[in-house]
Amino acid sequence: MTSGITRYEKAAVAAVAVMLVAGGFIFFYAPTDALQGPVQRIFYLHVSSAIAAYGCFAAVLLGSIVYLWKENLAADRLARAAALVGLVFTTVTLVMGMIWAKPIWGAFWTWDARLTSTLVLWIIYAGYLMVRRLADPGRQAARFAAVIGIFGFIDVPVVHFSVTWWQTHHPGPVVINNALPLEMLVSFLVTMACTLFLAAVLVAIRYRIEVLTDQAAEKTVPAPIVAPSEAGGAR
Amino acid sequence: MRTISIALAVARKDLTSEWRTRELVPALAQFVVLALVIANFGFQFDSHNAPAIAPGVLWMAIVFAGLVAFGRAFAAEREQASLEAMLLTPAAPAAIFAGKALAAGLMLVICEAVLLPALALFFGAPLSFDVISAVLLATVGMAVLGCLFAAMVARVRARELLLPLLTLPLWIPFIVVGGQAVQSAMSGSGGGTGQATSLLIDLDILFVVLTSLAARFVLDD
Repeated sequence: MTSGITRYEKAAVAAVAVMLVAGGFIFFYAPTDALQGPVQRIFYLHVSSAIAAYGCFAAVLLGSIVYLWKENLAADRLARAAALVGLVFTTVTLVMGMIWAKPIWGAFWTWDARLTSTLVLWIIYAGYLMVRRLADPGRQAARFAAVIGIFGFIDVPVVHFSVTWWQTHHPGPVVINNALPLEMLVSFLVTMACTLFLAAVLVAIRYRIEVLTDQAAEKTVPAPIVAPSEAGGAR
Repeated sequence: MRTISIALAVARKDLTSEWRTRELVPALAQFVVLALVIANFGFQFDSHNAPAIAPGVLWMAIVFAGLVAFGRAFAAEREQASLEAMLLTPAAPAAIFAGKALAAGLMLVICEAVLLPALALFFGAPLSFDVISAVLLATVGMAVLGCLFAAMVARVRARELLLPLLTLPLWIPFIVVGGQAVQSAMSGSGGGTGQATSLLIDLDILFVVLTSLAARFVLDD
Protein backbone atom coordinates (compact mmCIF):
# COMPACT_ATOMS: atom_id res chain seq x y z
CA MET A 1 0.00 0.00 0.00
CA THR A 2 2.71 2.49 0.98
CA SER A 3 5.12 1.69 -1.85
CA GLY A 4 2.61 3.07 -4.37
CA ILE A 5 2.48 0.07 -6.69
CA THR A 6 0.54 -2.92 -5.36
CA ARG A 7 1.21 -6.43 -6.53
CA TYR A 8 -2.15 -6.36 -8.28
CA GLU A 9 -0.99 -3.43 -10.38
CA LYS A 10 2.22 -5.26 -11.17
CA ALA A 11 0.26 -8.34 -12.18
CA ALA A 12 -2.01 -6.23 -14.36
CA VAL A 13 0.97 -4.67 -16.14
CA ALA A 14 2.47 -8.14 -16.60
CA ALA A 15 -0.82 -9.40 -18.07
CA VAL A 16 -0.93 -6.55 -20.57
CA ALA A 17 2.72 -7.18 -21.55
CA VAL A 18 2.05 -10.89 -21.95
CA MET A 19 -0.99 -10.22 -24.14
CA LEU A 20 1.15 -7.94 -26.33
CA VAL A 21 3.59 -10.82 -26.73
CA ALA A 22 0.68 -13.04 -27.76
CA GLY A 23 -0.35 -10.34 -30.24
CA GLY A 24 3.19 -10.44 -31.64
CA PHE A 25 2.94 -14.16 -32.18
CA ILE A 26 -0.51 -13.88 -33.75
CA PHE A 27 0.35 -11.10 -36.19
CA PHE A 28 4.06 -11.61 -36.95
CA TYR A 29 4.96 -15.23 -36.27
CA ALA A 30 1.89 -17.21 -37.34
CA PRO A 31 1.58 -17.69 -41.11
CA THR A 32 -1.44 -16.37 -42.99
CA ASP A 33 -4.02 -19.07 -43.63
CA ALA A 34 -4.05 -20.17 -47.27
CA LEU A 35 -7.85 -20.43 -47.47
CA GLN A 36 -9.26 -17.92 -45.03
CA GLY A 37 -6.58 -15.25 -45.23
CA PRO A 38 -5.84 -12.88 -42.36
CA VAL A 39 -9.29 -13.42 -40.76
CA GLN A 40 -8.06 -16.78 -39.53
CA ARG A 41 -5.82 -14.96 -37.00
CA ILE A 42 -8.97 -14.45 -34.93
CA PHE A 43 -8.84 -18.19 -34.17
CA TYR A 44 -5.98 -17.84 -31.67
CA LEU A 45 -7.72 -15.46 -29.31
CA HIS A 46 -11.20 -16.86 -29.99
CA VAL A 47 -10.33 -20.39 -28.88
CA SER A 48 -8.05 -19.20 -26.07
CA SER A 49 -10.73 -17.03 -24.55
CA ALA A 50 -13.24 -19.87 -24.84
CA ILE A 51 -10.85 -22.08 -22.89
CA ALA A 52 -10.28 -19.30 -20.36
CA ALA A 53 -14.05 -19.02 -19.97
CA TYR A 54 -14.34 -22.78 -19.39
CA GLY A 55 -11.62 -22.45 -16.74
CA CYS A 56 -13.44 -19.60 -15.04
CA PHE A 57 -16.74 -21.50 -15.00
CA ALA A 58 -14.95 -24.55 -13.62
CA ALA A 59 -13.70 -22.25 -10.84
CA VAL A 60 -17.30 -21.10 -10.29
CA LEU A 61 -18.39 -24.74 -10.05
CA LEU A 62 -15.60 -25.56 -7.61
CA GLY A 63 -16.25 -22.47 -5.49
CA SER A 64 -19.99 -23.20 -5.49
CA ILE A 65 -19.59 -26.80 -4.37
CA VAL A 66 -17.08 -25.90 -1.67
CA TYR A 67 -19.31 -23.06 -0.47
CA LEU A 68 -22.41 -25.26 -0.16
CA TRP A 69 -20.36 -27.96 1.50
CA LYS A 70 -18.24 -25.99 3.95
CA GLU A 71 -19.91 -22.53 3.99
CA ASN A 72 -16.48 -21.20 3.11
CA LEU A 73 -16.60 -17.47 2.28
CA ALA A 74 -13.37 -17.57 0.29
CA ALA A 75 -14.89 -20.20 -2.03
CA ASP A 76 -17.91 -17.97 -2.58
CA ARG A 77 -15.70 -15.00 -3.41
CA LEU A 78 -13.75 -17.13 -5.88
CA ALA A 79 -17.03 -18.13 -7.55
CA ARG A 80 -18.17 -14.51 -7.68
CA ALA A 81 -14.90 -13.31 -9.15
CA ALA A 82 -14.60 -16.14 -11.67
CA ALA A 83 -18.21 -15.80 -12.88
CA LEU A 84 -17.68 -12.19 -13.91
CA VAL A 85 -14.36 -12.88 -15.62
CA GLY A 86 -15.81 -15.96 -17.32
CA LEU A 87 -18.70 -13.89 -18.62
CA VAL A 88 -16.23 -11.36 -20.06
CA PHE A 89 -14.28 -14.11 -21.82
CA THR A 90 -17.49 -15.67 -23.15
CA THR A 91 -18.40 -12.26 -24.56
CA VAL A 92 -14.96 -12.00 -26.19
CA THR A 93 -15.40 -15.50 -27.66
CA LEU A 94 -18.84 -14.70 -29.04
CA VAL A 95 -17.84 -11.33 -30.50
CA MET A 96 -14.63 -12.62 -32.08
CA GLY A 97 -16.51 -15.59 -33.47
CA MET A 98 -19.10 -13.32 -35.04
CA ILE A 99 -16.41 -11.14 -36.61
CA TRP A 100 -14.83 -14.28 -38.06
CA ALA A 101 -18.16 -15.72 -39.19
CA LYS A 102 -19.20 -12.69 -41.26
CA PRO A 103 -16.54 -13.08 -43.99
CA ILE A 104 -16.29 -16.89 -43.76
CA TRP A 105 -19.94 -17.93 -43.39
CA GLY A 106 -21.48 -14.77 -44.80
CA ALA A 107 -23.48 -14.06 -41.64
CA PHE A 108 -22.64 -12.91 -38.12
CA TRP A 109 -24.84 -15.55 -36.57
CA THR A 110 -26.27 -18.95 -37.40
CA TRP A 111 -28.39 -21.03 -35.03
CA ASP A 112 -25.71 -23.62 -34.88
CA ALA A 113 -25.42 -25.98 -31.89
CA ARG A 114 -22.16 -24.51 -30.68
CA LEU A 115 -23.16 -20.89 -31.15
CA THR A 116 -26.51 -21.43 -29.47
CA SER A 117 -25.08 -23.35 -26.54
CA THR A 118 -22.43 -20.65 -26.05
CA LEU A 119 -25.11 -17.97 -26.06
CA VAL A 120 -27.05 -19.98 -23.48
CA LEU A 121 -23.88 -20.20 -21.40
CA TRP A 122 -23.61 -16.42 -21.52
CA ILE A 123 -27.24 -16.04 -20.45
CA ILE A 124 -26.85 -18.54 -17.56
CA TYR A 125 -23.91 -16.72 -16.03
CA ALA A 126 -25.49 -13.33 -16.64
CA GLY A 127 -28.40 -14.73 -14.60
CA TYR A 128 -25.90 -15.87 -11.98
CA LEU A 129 -24.62 -12.32 -11.58
CA MET A 130 -28.19 -10.99 -11.62
CA VAL A 131 -29.13 -13.24 -8.68
CA ARG A 132 -26.09 -12.04 -6.77
CA ARG A 133 -27.33 -8.52 -7.25
CA LEU A 134 -31.01 -9.10 -6.45
CA ALA A 135 -30.90 -11.62 -3.60
CA ASP A 136 -30.33 -10.51 -0.03
CA PRO A 137 -26.58 -9.98 0.19
CA GLY A 138 -24.73 -12.52 2.29
CA ARG A 139 -25.71 -16.10 2.88
CA GLN A 140 -28.84 -16.18 0.75
CA ALA A 141 -27.25 -14.65 -2.35
CA ALA A 142 -24.26 -16.94 -1.97
CA ARG A 143 -26.39 -20.07 -1.65
CA PHE A 144 -28.72 -19.26 -4.53
CA ALA A 145 -25.82 -18.29 -6.75
CA ALA A 146 -23.96 -21.48 -5.83
CA VAL A 147 -26.93 -23.57 -6.94
CA ILE A 148 -26.99 -21.73 -10.29
CA GLY A 149 -23.20 -22.07 -10.55
CA ILE A 150 -23.55 -25.84 -10.26
CA PHE A 151 -26.54 -26.20 -12.61
CA GLY A 152 -25.10 -23.75 -15.10
CA PHE A 153 -21.91 -25.73 -15.51
CA ILE A 154 -23.91 -28.51 -17.20
CA ASP A 155 -23.84 -26.31 -20.30
CA VAL A 156 -20.02 -26.22 -20.47
CA PRO A 157 -19.57 -29.82 -21.66
CA VAL A 158 -22.55 -29.28 -23.97
CA VAL A 159 -20.74 -26.33 -25.57
CA HIS A 160 -17.50 -28.24 -25.74
CA PHE A 161 -18.86 -31.41 -27.30
CA SER A 162 -21.54 -29.71 -29.42
CA VAL A 163 -19.29 -29.90 -32.49
CA THR A 164 -19.00 -33.66 -32.16
CA TRP A 165 -22.54 -34.41 -30.93
CA TRP A 166 -24.40 -32.49 -33.61
CA GLN A 167 -23.73 -31.59 -37.20
CA THR A 168 -22.54 -28.02 -37.08
CA HIS A 169 -20.93 -25.40 -39.29
CA HIS A 170 -18.51 -24.60 -36.53
CA PRO A 171 -15.00 -25.95 -37.18
CA GLY A 172 -14.22 -29.00 -35.07
CA PRO A 173 -11.25 -29.35 -32.76
CA VAL A 174 -8.08 -28.68 -34.80
CA VAL A 175 -5.51 -28.56 -32.03
CA ILE A 176 -6.11 -32.01 -30.55
CA ASN A 177 -6.40 -33.53 -34.02
CA ASN A 178 -2.93 -32.27 -35.03
CA ALA A 179 -4.42 -30.34 -37.93
CA LEU A 180 -2.26 -27.24 -37.38
CA PRO A 181 1.17 -26.51 -38.86
CA LEU A 182 3.89 -25.98 -36.26
CA GLU A 183 3.97 -22.16 -36.37
CA MET A 184 0.23 -21.97 -35.90
CA LEU A 185 0.33 -24.48 -33.07
CA VAL A 186 3.08 -22.54 -31.30
CA SER A 187 1.20 -19.27 -31.74
CA PHE A 188 -1.95 -20.87 -30.42
CA LEU A 189 -0.26 -22.38 -27.38
CA VAL A 190 1.47 -19.07 -26.57
CA THR A 191 -1.81 -17.17 -26.94
CA MET A 192 -3.62 -19.70 -24.79
CA ALA A 193 -1.01 -19.52 -22.02
CA CYS A 194 -1.10 -15.71 -22.13
CA THR A 195 -4.90 -15.60 -22.09
CA LEU A 196 -5.06 -18.02 -19.16
CA PHE A 197 -2.57 -15.81 -17.32
CA LEU A 198 -4.70 -12.75 -18.07
CA ALA A 199 -7.77 -14.60 -16.80
CA ALA A 200 -5.98 -15.63 -13.61
CA VAL A 201 -4.85 -12.03 -13.00
CA LEU A 202 -8.37 -10.71 -13.61
CA VAL A 203 -9.84 -13.28 -11.22
CA ALA A 204 -7.23 -12.39 -8.59
CA ILE A 205 -7.97 -8.67 -8.91
CA ARG A 206 -11.70 -9.28 -8.83
CA TYR A 207 -11.23 -11.55 -5.80
CA ARG A 208 -9.42 -8.72 -4.02
CA ILE A 209 -12.27 -6.35 -4.89
CA GLU A 210 -14.76 -8.84 -3.44
CA VAL A 211 -12.72 -9.09 -0.23
CA LEU A 212 -12.65 -5.30 0.10
CA THR A 213 -16.38 -5.05 -0.71
CA ASP A 214 -17.17 -7.62 1.97
CA GLN A 215 -14.99 -5.78 4.48
CA ALA A 216 -16.65 -2.47 3.62
CA ALA A 217 -20.09 -4.07 4.02
CA GLU A 218 -19.11 -5.48 7.41
CA LYS A 219 -17.93 -2.08 8.53
CA THR A 220 -20.92 -0.10 7.33
CA VAL A 221 -23.66 -2.36 8.71
CA PRO A 222 -23.11 -1.89 12.47
CA ALA A 223 -22.23 1.81 12.11
CA PRO A 224 -25.71 3.37 12.56
CA ILE A 225 -26.33 1.28 15.68
CA VAL A 226 -23.02 1.88 17.45
CA ALA A 227 -22.19 5.38 16.34
CA PRO A 228 -24.51 7.53 18.54
CA SER A 229 -23.57 5.97 21.89
CA GLU A 230 -19.89 5.83 21.04
CA ALA A 231 -19.85 9.41 19.88
CA GLY A 232 -21.57 10.45 23.10
CA GLY A 233 -19.23 8.39 25.27
CA ALA A 234 -16.07 9.70 23.66
CA ARG A 235 -16.83 13.31 24.32
CA MET B 1 -40.97 -44.08 2.46
CA ARG B 2 -41.45 -41.18 4.83
CA THR B 3 -40.12 -38.83 2.19
CA ILE B 4 -42.73 -40.02 -0.28
CA SER B 5 -45.62 -39.68 2.17
CA ILE B 6 -44.49 -36.14 3.09
CA ALA B 7 -44.17 -35.22 -0.58
CA LEU B 8 -47.64 -36.60 -1.28
CA ALA B 9 -49.08 -34.71 1.69
CA VAL B 10 -47.57 -31.42 0.49
CA ALA B 11 -48.79 -32.07 -3.05
CA ARG B 12 -52.28 -32.90 -1.76
CA LYS B 13 -52.32 -29.68 0.26
CA ASP B 14 -51.43 -27.61 -2.81
CA LEU B 15 -53.92 -29.41 -5.03
CA THR B 16 -56.69 -29.11 -2.40
CA SER B 17 -56.14 -25.39 -2.05
CA GLU B 18 -56.15 -25.07 -5.84
CA TRP B 19 -59.35 -27.13 -6.02
CA ARG B 20 -61.03 -24.88 -3.43
CA THR B 21 -60.02 -21.56 -4.99
CA ARG B 22 -59.84 -22.71 -8.65
CA GLU B 23 -57.52 -19.82 -9.29
CA LEU B 24 -54.56 -20.99 -11.28
CA VAL B 25 -55.67 -23.82 -13.56
CA PRO B 26 -58.64 -22.07 -15.25
CA ALA B 27 -56.51 -18.98 -15.78
CA LEU B 28 -53.71 -21.10 -17.22
CA ALA B 29 -56.09 -22.94 -19.53
CA GLN B 30 -57.38 -19.63 -20.79
CA PHE B 31 -53.81 -18.43 -21.15
CA VAL B 32 -52.75 -21.32 -23.42
CA VAL B 33 -55.82 -20.92 -25.63
CA LEU B 34 -54.99 -17.21 -25.90
CA ALA B 35 -51.44 -18.15 -26.82
CA LEU B 36 -52.84 -20.18 -29.73
CA VAL B 37 -54.92 -17.22 -30.85
CA ILE B 38 -51.86 -14.96 -30.77
CA ALA B 39 -49.83 -17.60 -32.64
CA ASN B 40 -52.51 -17.70 -35.33
CA PHE B 41 -52.01 -13.99 -36.00
CA GLY B 42 -48.25 -14.16 -35.70
CA PHE B 43 -47.69 -17.05 -38.11
CA GLN B 44 -50.44 -16.79 -40.75
CA PHE B 45 -51.49 -20.41 -40.43
CA ASP B 46 -52.90 -22.40 -43.30
CA SER B 47 -53.44 -26.11 -43.81
CA HIS B 48 -50.00 -26.56 -45.44
CA ASN B 49 -47.71 -24.99 -42.87
CA ALA B 50 -49.71 -26.00 -39.77
CA PRO B 51 -47.84 -29.29 -39.07
CA ALA B 52 -44.51 -27.47 -39.36
CA ILE B 53 -45.44 -24.58 -37.07
CA ALA B 54 -47.66 -26.38 -34.54
CA PRO B 55 -44.77 -28.00 -32.56
CA GLY B 56 -43.17 -24.59 -32.07
CA VAL B 57 -46.45 -23.07 -30.93
CA LEU B 58 -46.97 -26.03 -28.58
CA TRP B 59 -43.63 -25.56 -26.85
CA MET B 60 -43.95 -21.78 -26.66
CA ALA B 61 -47.32 -22.16 -24.96
CA ILE B 62 -46.03 -24.84 -22.55
CA VAL B 63 -42.96 -22.79 -21.64
CA PHE B 64 -44.87 -19.63 -20.87
CA ALA B 65 -47.69 -21.42 -19.09
CA GLY B 66 -45.03 -23.27 -17.08
CA LEU B 67 -43.37 -20.01 -16.07
CA VAL B 68 -46.69 -18.70 -14.80
CA ALA B 69 -47.55 -21.97 -13.02
CA PHE B 70 -44.22 -22.32 -11.25
CA GLY B 71 -44.07 -18.63 -10.44
CA ARG B 72 -47.37 -19.08 -8.59
CA ALA B 73 -46.22 -22.29 -6.85
CA PHE B 74 -44.53 -20.42 -4.05
CA ALA B 75 -46.60 -17.24 -4.17
CA ALA B 76 -49.22 -18.43 -1.68
CA GLU B 77 -46.55 -19.78 0.66
CA ARG B 78 -44.76 -16.44 0.53
CA GLU B 79 -47.88 -14.40 1.17
CA GLN B 80 -48.85 -16.51 4.21
CA ALA B 81 -45.21 -17.11 5.29
CA SER B 82 -46.24 -20.77 5.55
CA LEU B 83 -43.09 -22.13 3.95
CA GLU B 84 -41.13 -21.24 7.08
CA ALA B 85 -43.71 -23.14 9.15
CA MET B 86 -43.36 -26.20 6.93
CA LEU B 87 -39.58 -26.04 7.22
CA LEU B 88 -39.85 -25.96 11.02
CA THR B 89 -41.36 -29.43 10.94
CA PRO B 90 -38.93 -32.38 10.91
CA ALA B 91 -39.84 -33.00 7.25
CA ALA B 92 -36.83 -33.00 4.93
CA PRO B 93 -36.68 -29.91 2.67
CA ALA B 94 -36.18 -32.20 -0.31
CA ALA B 95 -39.50 -33.93 0.49
CA ILE B 96 -41.35 -30.61 0.77
CA PHE B 97 -39.78 -29.51 -2.47
CA ALA B 98 -40.78 -32.75 -4.19
CA GLY B 99 -44.37 -32.20 -3.08
CA LYS B 100 -44.43 -28.64 -4.39
CA ALA B 101 -42.91 -29.73 -7.70
CA LEU B 102 -45.40 -32.60 -8.01
CA ALA B 103 -48.39 -30.32 -7.46
CA ALA B 104 -47.12 -27.62 -9.81
CA GLY B 105 -46.22 -30.23 -12.41
CA LEU B 106 -49.69 -31.76 -12.20
CA MET B 107 -51.28 -28.34 -12.71
CA LEU B 108 -49.13 -27.89 -15.81
CA VAL B 109 -50.24 -31.33 -17.00
CA ILE B 110 -53.89 -30.29 -16.61
CA CYS B 111 -53.13 -27.21 -18.65
CA GLU B 112 -51.45 -29.37 -21.30
CA ALA B 113 -54.58 -31.51 -21.34
CA VAL B 114 -56.34 -28.36 -22.58
CA LEU B 115 -53.52 -27.24 -24.86
CA LEU B 116 -52.99 -30.44 -26.82
CA PRO B 117 -56.64 -31.00 -27.84
CA ALA B 118 -56.95 -27.28 -28.62
CA LEU B 119 -53.88 -27.52 -30.83
CA ALA B 120 -55.35 -30.55 -32.57
CA LEU B 121 -58.70 -28.80 -32.98
CA PHE B 122 -57.55 -25.39 -34.15
CA PHE B 123 -54.44 -26.26 -36.13
CA GLY B 124 -55.16 -29.82 -37.17
CA ALA B 125 -51.99 -31.04 -35.52
CA PRO B 126 -52.16 -34.83 -35.22
CA LEU B 127 -51.98 -36.09 -31.65
CA SER B 128 -50.26 -39.39 -31.06
CA PHE B 129 -48.83 -41.35 -28.18
CA ASP B 130 -45.36 -40.07 -29.09
CA VAL B 131 -46.42 -36.43 -28.85
CA ILE B 132 -48.13 -36.91 -25.49
CA SER B 133 -45.27 -38.93 -23.99
CA ALA B 134 -42.68 -36.36 -25.13
CA VAL B 135 -44.70 -33.52 -23.61
CA LEU B 136 -45.26 -35.39 -20.33
CA LEU B 137 -41.61 -36.46 -20.02
CA ALA B 138 -40.44 -32.91 -20.64
CA THR B 139 -42.93 -31.67 -18.05
CA VAL B 140 -41.25 -33.76 -15.34
CA GLY B 141 -37.86 -32.14 -15.80
CA MET B 142 -39.32 -28.70 -16.42
CA ALA B 143 -41.36 -28.98 -13.21
CA VAL B 144 -38.43 -29.80 -10.94
CA LEU B 145 -36.22 -27.09 -12.47
CA GLY B 146 -39.02 -24.54 -12.55
CA CYS B 147 -39.92 -25.21 -8.92
CA LEU B 148 -36.31 -24.99 -7.79
CA PHE B 149 -35.88 -21.54 -9.31
CA ALA B 150 -39.36 -20.49 -8.24
CA ALA B 151 -38.42 -21.32 -4.65
CA MET B 152 -35.29 -19.26 -5.14
CA VAL B 153 -36.85 -16.18 -6.68
CA ALA B 154 -39.70 -16.21 -4.14
CA ARG B 155 -37.22 -14.65 -1.74
CA VAL B 156 -35.58 -12.28 -4.15
CA ARG B 157 -36.45 -8.81 -5.39
CA ALA B 158 -37.80 -8.55 -8.97
CA ARG B 159 -38.92 -12.17 -8.89
CA GLU B 160 -41.18 -12.01 -11.95
CA LEU B 161 -38.19 -10.76 -13.91
CA LEU B 162 -35.69 -13.24 -12.61
CA LEU B 163 -37.70 -16.48 -12.89
CA PRO B 164 -37.71 -16.67 -16.72
CA LEU B 165 -34.11 -15.51 -16.83
CA LEU B 166 -32.93 -18.41 -14.68
CA THR B 167 -35.38 -21.08 -15.79
CA LEU B 168 -35.47 -20.72 -19.56
CA PRO B 169 -31.78 -21.46 -20.23
CA LEU B 170 -32.02 -24.69 -18.27
CA TRP B 171 -35.28 -25.67 -19.94
CA ILE B 172 -33.65 -25.45 -23.36
CA PRO B 173 -32.48 -29.11 -23.37
CA PHE B 174 -36.08 -30.23 -22.85
CA ILE B 175 -37.34 -27.94 -25.57
CA VAL B 176 -34.63 -29.06 -27.99
CA VAL B 177 -35.20 -32.77 -27.42
CA GLY B 178 -38.96 -32.59 -26.86
CA GLY B 179 -39.29 -30.29 -29.86
CA GLN B 180 -37.50 -32.80 -32.07
CA ALA B 181 -39.69 -35.63 -30.80
CA VAL B 182 -42.92 -33.72 -31.36
CA GLN B 183 -41.79 -32.46 -34.75
CA SER B 184 -40.94 -35.92 -36.04
CA ALA B 185 -44.14 -37.37 -34.53
CA MET B 186 -46.34 -34.66 -36.07
CA SER B 187 -44.69 -34.76 -39.48
CA GLY B 188 -45.32 -38.49 -39.48
CA SER B 189 -41.75 -39.51 -40.17
CA GLY B 190 -41.61 -41.28 -36.83
CA GLY B 191 -37.85 -41.69 -36.90
CA GLY B 192 -35.92 -40.50 -33.88
CA THR B 193 -38.79 -40.38 -31.42
CA GLY B 194 -37.49 -43.45 -29.56
CA GLN B 195 -34.06 -41.87 -29.19
CA ALA B 196 -35.58 -38.56 -28.11
CA THR B 197 -37.76 -40.32 -25.54
CA SER B 198 -34.79 -42.07 -23.95
CA LEU B 199 -32.84 -38.80 -23.96
CA LEU B 200 -35.76 -37.07 -22.23
CA ILE B 201 -35.79 -39.80 -19.58
CA ASP B 202 -32.03 -39.32 -19.08
CA LEU B 203 -32.50 -35.57 -18.69
CA ASP B 204 -35.36 -36.13 -16.25
CA ILE B 205 -33.24 -38.42 -14.09
CA LEU B 206 -30.30 -35.98 -14.17
CA PHE B 207 -32.36 -32.97 -13.12
CA VAL B 208 -34.52 -34.80 -10.58
CA VAL B 209 -31.36 -35.99 -8.82
CA LEU B 210 -29.64 -32.60 -9.04
CA THR B 211 -32.65 -30.61 -7.85
CA SER B 212 -33.33 -32.96 -4.96
CA LEU B 213 -29.73 -32.42 -3.86
CA ALA B 214 -29.98 -28.67 -4.31
CA ALA B 215 -33.45 -28.24 -2.75
CA ARG B 216 -32.03 -28.17 0.76
CA PHE B 217 -29.87 -25.15 -0.01
CA VAL B 218 -32.66 -23.22 -1.68
CA LEU B 219 -35.46 -23.89 0.82
CA ASP B 220 -33.62 -24.11 4.10
CA ASP B 221 -32.45 -20.74 5.38
